[in-house]
Amino acid sequence: MSGMSDSAGGRAGVELMVEQFQLKVLHAVLAVRTPRLLAAAAAPAASFRRRDRWFHLPLHDPPPPPEAAERLEALAPGERLVVDVHLAPAGGGAGAGGEVVERWTVACEPWPDAAGEGLAVNRAYKHCFTLLRSVYAVLRLLPAYRVFRLLCANQSYNYEMVHRVSFFVEPFSRAEEAAMRSHRFVPVETQLGRLVVSVQYLPNLAAFNLEITSLSPSMLIPDYVGSPAAEPMRFFPASLTEATGSAFPPSYQQQRPHSWAPPAFWPHAPAQQGKFSPTPVIYASPTPSPPNFPSGYLQSRLMRGESAPMSIPQLGESRSPVHRQNVLEPGRGFMLPPPSPRRVDTGATGAQESPSECSRLIGRMEGLRTVDPYASPSPRHKGKDSKDESGRFSALSSCDSPRQDDLDDVDYPFAVDDVDMPVSRPGSSDGKEVGDQAGSSSHKSQDAQVGSLVNLLRTARPLRDPSYSSQTSEVASTSSVMSRRTSDALEELQSFKEIRERLLSRSSAKHQAPPEKP
Amino acid sequence: MNCETCQLKELELEAREIRDVLRCILHTIFFHRTLSLVRPKDVDCEFFEITYCGLPELEKEVDEKIDQFIGWAEKHPNRRSQVCLSFFDEKNKHPGWFGNKTERIYWEQWFINLHVISPKRYSKSNSSKGLTNIGGNALEEISSRRAALESSIHEVLFQIINFANEKRDHIPAIPDTFNHDIMIPSFSDSVFGWNTDVLRRVLNSGHPYSL
Repeated sequence: MSGMSDSAGGRAGVELMVEQFQLKVLHAVLAVRTPRLLAAAAAPAASFRRRDRWFHLPLHDPPPPPEAAERLEALAPGERLVVDVHLAPAGGGAGAGGEVVERWTVACEPWPDAAGEGLAVNRAYKHCFTLLRSVYAVLRLLPAYRVFRLLCANQSYNYEMVHRVSFFVEPFSRAEEAAMRSHRFVPVETQLGRLVVSVQYLPNLAAFNLEITSLSPSMLIPDYVGSPAAEPMRFFPASLTEATGSAFPPSYQQQRPHSWAPPAFWPHAPAQQGKFSPTPVIYASPTPSPPNFPSGYLQSRLMRGESAPMSIPQLGESRSPVHRQNVLEPGRGFMLPPPSPRRVDTGATGAQESPSECSRLIGRMEGLRTVDPYASPSPRHKGKDSKDESGRFSALSSCDSPRQDDLDDVDYPFAVDDVDMPVSRPGSSDGKEVGDQAGSSSHKSQDAQVGSLVNLLRTARPLRDPSYSSQTSEVASTSSVMSRRTSDALEELQSFKEIRERLLSRSSAKHQAPPEKP
Repeated sequence: MNCETCQLKELELEAREIRDVLRCILHTIFFHRTLSLVRPKDVDCEFFEITYCGLPELEKEVDEKIDQFIGWAEKHPNRRSQVCLSFFDEKNKHPGWFGNKTERIYWEQWFINLHVISPKRYSKSNSSKGLTNIGGNALEEISSRRAALESSIHEVLFQIINFANEKRDHIPAIPDTFNHDIMIPSFSDSVFGWNTDVLRRVLNSGHPYSL
């Protein structure tokens, strides 16, 4: 760690490092526990300052306000920084605390004696790198992160995620303590004390029945694309119905109007100038927008509280028969009428000569219904492994491409080697499994089936035309299928019935003729 | 300098899950050991509800190694294997008869233990229940197996986090680039896949650790 020396730090350096570490942890927690719409997340971030490079992990999400840094400066030795993450009923307003689902605690526990005097600042600083990365990683492994992603994707849920930053909190009750799991990170030893980070969290958030509410205010959506519930027969493009692995909906949501409520958890009252109030302040979520993303598959996983998805076919995994059919035959509507068979003089022989064609047609229909029993039940299944498939990087990332340094920032005394790694932005691979589409089922109504049979009989080789080519008729019938209407099919069905009646009457007439008895 | 080794808990997985699992584990290890300036990206696993911190600059190399391992696993089904991620320092040896040689001093090794199973293994047990039940039972088994695997992956990730924080003193000074090596079983290997190339590296490193 070049550029970092004990002479530059000393005790003051250690204090600065501890303060910056606490600020960094706070920043990291708030970045993935403060839901905001994607459009807001993609807004241009503040300039990348040298202070953001503390511990070699720049975070570009909205940082905590300057008041937080001021308060942390005044933190007494041993005083803890506590961030509580709540899930509160939506629209509850300030004071609606909700339930704590996570509690992050950062503290520098002072040494009982002068045990830490000989500890090198460099060493402690380097250890903080690893600790901060662990905190960063664990923030994404805990259940609250899934809720955060849900709420970022759609803020019309019946719950909102809010946080409370304080320096003294009531400990959990025994029941609450029993319901929570805890993880204590390996502390970093500094001259001042042991830098300790711990988290208590609810391992299962199924009790929070997250669902999209219909209480959101009405809103004019200029680019409304419709709802599957309203128009089940409508064909939706794949981008809207596919269940992506990320909780983020397609990019169209970014264009929807939204409001960004200013963070209200840092009080600015003049009376409290220079002193941070520990009173709980609820951070209001932005104005909710009407639901526009089928949340069934996301919600079902959350309600289960389990990590692995169930085997219930989800919206993106197995599409509706309507959608599947349209995928296979984009030129067709929902229910394509059977082809109108040409008038043909069919007889028993004609019917007998077409069984092979009939069986071929039936076999084709059966083949379209084949379903892969080993298809992944995960709605997040993106496709087969392929060499071209690269990792998907979600739109919301805490660390973005580097920004220009603010050289006027003098709060960063540690000169650390500036290693600008080439940042590659692999394109998001949307590897849908083509096999699933090819193996989807098709649906034909009874009328269509009858129409097909009628057409088959019509195009069967006539008794008196040996030069009739079945191949050309099959091709012709296939092309005629595309442009038939239901009325034609019914007409032909009627003619088929007449033919049938005629055949039956003939055969009954033969049977009724009494045999001559010897 | 000590070479710290970490044996991660064995994971039982199918071939199609290899990419997800290895990407998640390798990137998590790299993220914890890349102490130079990093800008991680949040990456979602395809088959699991896990988001890990990916390093874009290492994506290509990691994927290439994973492709090689997948190729090996296809030729050696239902086998236990290891993928080893090693970190080392390179030092110049004293010049010898054949020019300058560099010596690798391994300071940390991570052993990712995998047991790649074939999907047909668990579906056979359902054959006696009748044709109509195979589809539903297979999906149920897939779901529960995947849930168990996801839980195991969580354990492995926390194992990495704990080890990375417990063992920190042996990490050398933060370099501009860190030297690393990802070793996978070779096609002509034994069960644990250590081939002559690996042995040669070990001998050249001069470090007295055992495989």
